[in-house]
This record gives sequence, C-alpha cells and structure tokens, in this order.
Amino acid sequence: MALFTGGVLALDIQLPPETATYRPSQLPGYQLVQRNCMTCHSAQYVQSQPPASPRGYWEATVKKMKKPFGAQFPDDEVPAMVDYLAKTY
Amino acid sequence: LGSTALAALAANPGSVTLSFENGERELIAFPQKRPLIVLTSRPPQLETPFAVFNEGVLTPNDAFFVRYHWSGIPTSIDAQSYRLRIGGNVNTPLELTLAELKQMADAVELIAVNQCSGNSRGHFTPRANGGQLSNGAMGNARWTGVPLKKVLEKAGIKAGAVQVSFNGLDKPPVGDGPDFVKALNIDHALDGEVMLAWQMNGADLPLLNGYPVRLIVPGYYGTYWVKHVTDITVTDKVFDGFWMSTAYRIPDNSCACIEPGTAPTKTTPINRFNVRSFITSLAEGTQVKVGRETVVRGIAFDGGYGITEVAFSSDGGNSWHPARLGKDLGKYSFREWTASFKPQRKGPYDLKVRAVNRIGQSQPMTALWNPMGYMRNVVESTRVLAA
Ligand code: HEC
Repeated sequence: MALFTGGVLALDIQLPPETATYRPSQLPGYQLVQRNCMTCHSAQYVQSQPPASPRGYWEATVKKMKKPFGAQFPDDEVPAMVDYLAKTY
Repeated sequence: LGSTALAALAANPGSVTLSFENGERELIAFPQKRPLIVLTSRPPQLETPFAVFNEGVLTPNDAFFVRYHWSGIPTSIDAQSYRLRIGGNVNTPLELTLAELKQMADAVELIAVNQCSGNSRGHFTPRANGGQLSNGAMGNARWTGVPLKKVLEKAGIKAGAVQVSFNGLDKPPVGDGPDFVKALNIDHALDGEVMLAWQMNGADLPLLNGYPVRLIVPGYYGTYWVKHVTDITVTDKVFDGFWMSTAYRIPDNSCACIEPGTAPTKTTPINRFNVRSFITSLAEGTQVKVGRETVVRGIAFDGGYGITEVAFSSDGGNSWHPARLGKDLGKYSFREWTASFKPQRKGPYDLKVRAVNRIGQSQPMTALWNPMGYMRNVVESTRVLAA
C-alpha cells in the first residue's frame, strides 16, 4: 500500500518480497548464478524464457549482462554459468 | 501518521498459466495494485490479467501494467522536493517544481493506450527471447498533464535542435550499465500532443506507473513513456544511448518483419503501434448456448489514426461481418466494439476479430515475425464451444 506521510507529500511504497530462486543443481554454475545474477534482477527473467532456449542465447545473454549492462563477474566464470543455464532452463 | 511505509499485501498469491509453454506465473499485489501477473518481481514487471479489459474501456490504475528495465527504482518520492529540469540546446534552462509544472499551461486531458513493445511476445512462433508476456502489457487511460511543447517553448529551443531526450529516476542498481534514457525527434516533441502527465484516470499516477510525472507519447510504444521523468534535454544531434541505438530496434521495412531465423539488414527505432483488436468478453474455451444470441464484445486500437472498422468472424475467418463500434473516445483510445454471435450447431467455434484504421492499415491473418518479439498484431483466435 502507498502512504502519504503526515504533512509532507511523500509517496512511500514497500515492494513485496521476492519469490523466485534459481533451480538447484550439482553443476558448478548454480553457485555462480546465485552469486552473480541476483544483483540486478530476480530469477524469473531466466525462469520464464522459452524452454530449451539455445546455448547461444544463454552465452550471448550472460555476456550482455557484463557488457553493456555492467555485471561484475569475471570472464572465466562465464562458461560454467552458460552450461548451467543451457542445461537447466 | 508516522513515516513507516506499509508493506504490500503479498499474502495469498494466486497463479495463472499463460497460453504458451513455460507460462506459469504468480499473481501478486504490489503497492497501489491489485494482484497482477508477475513477470519479474525485481524490477517490478507486472502484466494485467486479460479479464480486466472487459471491465471497461479505461484500464483501472490498480490494474495497469508495469514495466521497468533497471531495479534501481524509487520507492519513496517527495512531491515537494521533486524537480523537473529542462536543459541542453535551450535559451533558458528550467528547473521546475511539480506545482510550477502544473501551472506552465492549462491542463489537458487525453485518453490514450500505452502498450509495451513486447506485449504478446510469449505468443511468437518461433519463440523470441526477452520478457515473456501474454496480451496484458497494454492499458488505456485518461491522462492529465501539460503539453510538452508548452514547457519546451518556455525554455526556448535554440536553432539546430535535433532531438529531445528524457531521463527518469530509475537507474542501474550497481555498475556502469546504461541508464534508461529515450529520445524523440524535435518535431515530434513539439507536436502539441506529447505530454507530461501527473494523473491517470483522475488520480495521481501510481508510483509504479511513473509518479509524480511521466511522459505520454500518444500512439507510440510504451518504451518512450519515460516514468518519474526528471531530465529533459534538447540535443543538437541524434541521441545515441543504448536504449535508442541498440535496444528497441525493429526491421526497417514496412511490416517490421523478417523471415524467422534470419537477421534484419537494417533497423530503426520502434515507433507507432500497429493495428490490434481483441475479444474481451469470451475467454478461450468458454461454453456458449446453441441457438441463443451471445453479444461478443472487445476492443480495437491503433497508432493514432483511429479505428474505423471492426469485422467479426465466427468461422475461423472464412466469413466476416461488421461489428458495431462503441463510443469514440478519441483516436488514441481503445475503441469498444460488439458483435452478435448465434451458434446454430453444437461444437467448437473459432472466433476472430480484425480492425482497420483510418488510413486502411489492418491486421495480418498469419503472424509477422521479428527477432526481438515486438509488435505482434496477428488476427487473434478465441475458440469457444457451443453446447
Ligand atoms: C548489472 C546488472 C545485471 C546483472 C548482474 C545481470 N543482469 Fe540480466 N539483465 C539486466 C538488465 C538491465 C536486463 C533487462 C533488459 C531489459 O529490460 O530490456 C536483464 C535481462 C536479463 C534477461 C532477460 C531476457 C533477455 O533476453 O533480455 C535474462 C535471461 C537475464 N538478464 C539473465 C541474467 C543472468 C543469467 C545473469 C548472470 C549471469 C544476469 N542476468 C545478471 C541486468 C543485469
């Protein structure tokens, strides 16, 4: 709910808690996506992609998150995350 | 009242399954919103359940869709300290309070549809990656504000102006990613219709729809309708930020389409809506009575020429009959239509609707395709069962 607080016209909202998590897996990329892919957006963006999106999509997407979007993970963590995403979603 | 914010009622989330593979979604009530279809919870990206479009031609504020790119969104906005800056290639840069903005000119009202570029992307075949939306990333509202033209005239546009860019309070939560900034050509920005609005449907904008002020670009996709707008900059060259020069580009041809699996040779920024129409009164799979008249109702809209004709078919598009158009709320609004449907035999019926606008544009019978999943406007089918 929104609240206009006493006197001042401030509109304050509190967003509901997040509900989505990355699907657990033994693949090493699982730990990495939890660390690297939750800073900017929730896991639904990954979850809701068309099933069996090609590996090329995941590779391009993970790279896009770094450049231009500015994700901070090192290049050498990319292959394991792509592998997890391609095999899990 | 204290300064504590009330939490959204996240309890008791329902769920829906959109009619494409991997279409399971939660329904959650975000602040100032009824339970809506959650595409992503952070940033909030919420789709309107389709049944809402049958409640009326105007989409209620608490059901209006929400789209953000970056999760660095404002959750507390003080209308007193809010400022709108107009600068760049102008004679007199301005810094306006909300009260000053409201007094810049007589307030105007316009009913206009806002639609996400990727509305209906989930229905693309072959599928297109990106936000997997069904048909609920659109809405129609009565916007109140002042023409952008009046504000730009107060600042005084200098010779050599080419575009006007718009930035709002949303920003990347970390890192140096590209801030969400959009631009319009100078002639478009000065057309007298583009507007800075603070109300929708007679109430302040909900925060998630751009409180306290958003840009209204009638007939154009929602990507241009910058929310919580704070900076308007007149530029002397084409603005080349990521969200104009790389994202939101369509094939530069008359259908904005290409063969599935190929890549466009040339692209251009997405711009006006194409023509669309929907049945809103009957959902897929509904049962209707044989031998009894059912009045089918729906909506049609386009990029601002105005809908002049809607045709209805109950036999999968073999024969068409004119629908009755409802009240004309302006060329940018949803136009209601109704048609009579009286099934004579038991069994399945494939209902279709197709609209035409004032300049003769209509909808394709088979879906057009582009790699980004933008601008779907195929003639939709609603299958019902007569029993
Ligand atoms: C620095 C910010 C940031 C980080 C970190 C980040 N993303 Fe994103 N991501 C974005 C932005 C911004 C968008 C949305 C673009 C839009 O709304 O059009 C996005 C969109 C997406 C999408 C949407 C679909 C598409 O095709 O555009 C997917 C899938 C995705 N990210 C996956 C990931 C994965 C996997 C990771 C980690 C390896 C990740 N993201 C980390 C910023 C980030």
